Amino acid sequence: MLATVSSATLLGVEGCAIRVEVHVGNGLPGFSIVGLPDATCREARDRVRAAVVSSGFKWPQHRITVNLAPTSVRKAGSGMDLPIAVGVLGADGQLDPSLCDGIAFFGELGLDGSLRRLAGTLPLVGAAREPAVVVPVACAAEASLLGGTRVLAAVSLRNVVLAIAGQDQWSRVPGAAPATEQDPGEDLADVRGQPVGRLAVEVAAAGGHHLLLVGPPGAGKTMLARRIPGILPPLTRAEALDVTRVHSAAGLELPPGALVLRPPFRVPHHSASMVSLIGGGTTQIRPGELSCSSHGVLFLDELGEFSSSVLDALRQPLEDGAVVVCRARHSVRLPAQCLLVAAMNPCPCGGDGSPAGCRCSEAARARYASKVSGPLLDRFDLRVAVDPPDVSDLVAPDPAATETSATVAARVARARGRAAARGVRCNAAIPGRRLDELAAIDGASRRLLEHRLRQGRLSARGMHRVRRVARTLADLAGEEGAVAEEHVLAALALRSEPFAPSRGVA
Amino acid sequence: MRREPASAAGRRDDEAAAVALCGLPGIGPVSLGRLLSEAGGPAAAWEAVRSGNLGRPGNPRPGIVPWAVAAARIDPWTRWEAAVAGGIGVTWVGRPDYPSRLALDPLPPPVLFWRGHLEVLDRRCVAVIGTRRCTPGGRRLAWELGRDLAEAGMCVVSGLALGIDGHAHLGACTAGPRGATVGVAASGVDVPYPRRHAALWQRVVERGAVISETAPGGPAQRWRFPARNRVIAGSSELVVVVESHSGGGSLLTVEAALERGIEVRAVPGPVHSSASEGTNQLLFEGAGPVRSAADVLDAMGEVRATGRRRPPPSPPPERPASPPGDPARGSRDRSAQRGSGPPPAGQPRSSRRDAVGPAGQGEDPRAARVLAAVGWEPTSLNRVVARVGLPIAVVVAVLEQLAALGSVAEERGWWQRLR
Ligand SMILES: [Zn+2]
Repeated sequence: MLATVSSATLLGVEGCAIRVEVHVGNGLPGFSIVGLPDATCREARDRVRAAVVSSGFKWPQHRITVNLAPTSVRKAGSGMDLPIAVGVLGADGQLDPSLCDGIAFFGELGLDGSLRRLAGTLPLVGAAREPAVVVPVACAAEASLLGGTRVLAAVSLRNVVLAIAGQDQWSRVPGAAPATEQDPGEDLADVRGQPVGRLAVEVAAAGGHHLLLVGPPGAGKTMLARRIPGILPPLTRAEALDVTRVHSAAGLELPPGALVLRPPFRVPHHSASMVSLIGGGTTQIRPGELSCSSHGVLFLDELGEFSSSVLDALRQPLEDGAVVVCRARHSVRLPAQCLLVAAMNPCPCGGDGSPAGCRCSEAARARYASKVSGPLLDRFDLRVAVDPPDVSDLVAPDPAATETSATVAARVARARGRAAARGVRCNAAIPGRRLDELAAIDGASRRLLEHRLRQGRLSARGMHRVRRVARTLADLAGEEGAVAEEHVLAALALRSEPFAPSRGVA
Repeated sequence: MRREPASAAGRRDDEAAAVALCGLPGIGPVSLGRLLSEAGGPAAAWEAVRSGNLGRPGNPRPGIVPWAVAAARIDPWTRWEAAVAGGIGVTWVGRPDYPSRLALDPLPPPVLFWRGHLEVLDRRCVAVIGTRRCTPGGRRLAWELGRDLAEAGMCVVSGLALGIDGHAHLGACTAGPRGATVGVAASGVDVPYPRRHAALWQRVVERGAVISETAPGGPAQRWRFPARNRVIAGSSELVVVVESHSGGGSLLTVEAALERGIEVRAVPGPVHSSASEGTNQLLFEGAGPVRSAADVLDAMGEVRATGRRRPPPSPPPERPASPPGDPARGSRDRSAQRGSGPPPAGQPRSSRRDAVGPAGQGEDPRAARVLAAVGWEPTSLNRVVARVGLPIAVVVAVLEQLAALGSVAEERGWWQRLR
């Protein structure tokens, strides 16, 4: 007898609808799964058999063939345990297969028949074409985020089979209502004596400009970076769903209420592998930290300690806003629209990087600087030196220097609004050929930039980046029209050369 | 322009032998000096080495080529001709052109190679030395000392290194025609070290001499630097340390000078500046302070025509006009074009720029505030902005103007007052 059950599998951060066809027929007792299952998926055989028996059902002593269609898609993970089990019971006549029509099933089975949470519920449910889905109760809140689909939550295989037949209750779907406001994190008001660093994070947040913080240990680089999500605009509903989808697919823990409302802040360790940072993988393509920080901040502390191949691999996705992972049968697109914030020491000696305060040899400093390739360094529109505040400067702080995150966030939101009105995602994304149109500069600014170019203190590429940052500074100041010289000066100051070699005399 | 060696064939034999002797493996000033004095001259010493009559002192260590074997592989004449073709002169202790002050040194370079005008070492010589890791202020003072001492007719001796040394030479090179400067190299006189100072070496050769006890073509090995420092001390009547970290290499030169009874003076610096730790310690221990070239000239008993105690404020160090196509002046030295150079023509002008008076202080109250915030130690832009409390754009604009006027200098984002 044949039964067909609907489900879906994950391709990157997208779901792909799958039909699970189960045939129970004559022949020597056996159980095979065909249709490009990966190793975890193939292990479903053992889990499903144990779960069916533990749930008090009979394991059919026949030849069982499971086909996962379409066969061209690689099926990964353990999320198809439940549809396979339901299909087996349907094909064996222990459950009326017609009751499964219009329902998609998702869930990993424990050997005792319990239903366990699975990664990627949101994209999987999104891919289902059926009006109702059965999910583990732990994933129910996430499954109901999309709305429009009836979510049937269950705790075990037995619960599913009985509830479909009307002999048991579905579990209550918890917390379908959006969760309470999540912790906004630390406040910018705590950052004292760092006017340049504060301006840099504000500009980074307002214009989407990647930021490199250079300073000795203890200077407050991490402190500054951690406050960026708090001044980024809150995620829109669509962005929140995007972020939740990625986090879910990556198997990250979701906040209570399942929807990620705050811009993510991800801090991968510098020993992170290429796959964990960029995404990919051999069997199942998983999003990396780069994708997980979409619409938020990817913070790379100790940038110089990351392997250079990993850093090189970051460049193209940052430019394109997406990671494309190609496999023999398909390619998968993962989002990569994050703000990259990196931190590193000025040099290896642990000094403050000042001309006299560093004990490194020229060669040691050059070696250290070369860990971050020129092309990657060039991606940072903002490169600022951060140094620990001088206690003597903190006695009478300037009130303007202790603005709260809320004040800054309001300015950032207005600046982002101005960029959006120009039709760009953010100022950092203004194409070079449209700079004159979208980020025009006044005569004094033009003369200043030309002067810097002649002096060799600015490259043509760098000039484009300075102009975008200057546009953001003008947006933050609420100025329309051509960008004034003061903003260009500030933009130049926010793009320093922290790794310039010591000066010879000739 | 070298001094023509005497045409006598014997003199040429001696010169070729002197070049060859310096090429023996592991030979240092002590063993070379002993060789020369035992044999009575380079040619005789070379013969003795070749024939095996004079060898390495002490027990020969395994794995070291005996000198006689090494000497058999050296052709003195090829080496001598290459040196002559490269404009390199050679002299040794006892020859009349050997610098007179060095000749009296307890451990003089037995053989000395030189390019340029060796006779400037017979003038009154002052060593101006210091750390490579200097502050913009230290660099500037080194340049001023070099220029003013050379202007006063002194020969400025230093070590051709990055930082203080290079700027002392450069200052001397920019002085009038009376000025002279001598660079003492750790590598061969034809092997510029550091490489980016190749153009500076050429200028020093033109305005004085580059000397070394390392044979031509020899690299700057680590042990050569302390040995080189004793030559700097031994060539000079007075040693001025501009900036030195505690335990810095300049302090080895100081030690060598004190052993020889040569006066050492130091430039006072801020107590928090790491680059002044060594010099401030010298002052604490009793070295005389140097604030300007006038203090040095006073210490040397020079009588000056002008009654001014201190020279007038000087413009920022001029960047040398290097010969076209000079490999040392590539784009990698772009950073060198910052800060310490004079503003090139075409400096953009804006109302803000014009607001600062020519003196760079006083007229625009913001300029005075910014100057005070920068202070005399390298200070990060962040701290300057924090202290001034004005928008970063205003602070940067004022700093750029002050830099153009030579009041402040910037390096890798750190600013420092120069005057
Ligand atoms: Zn260092």
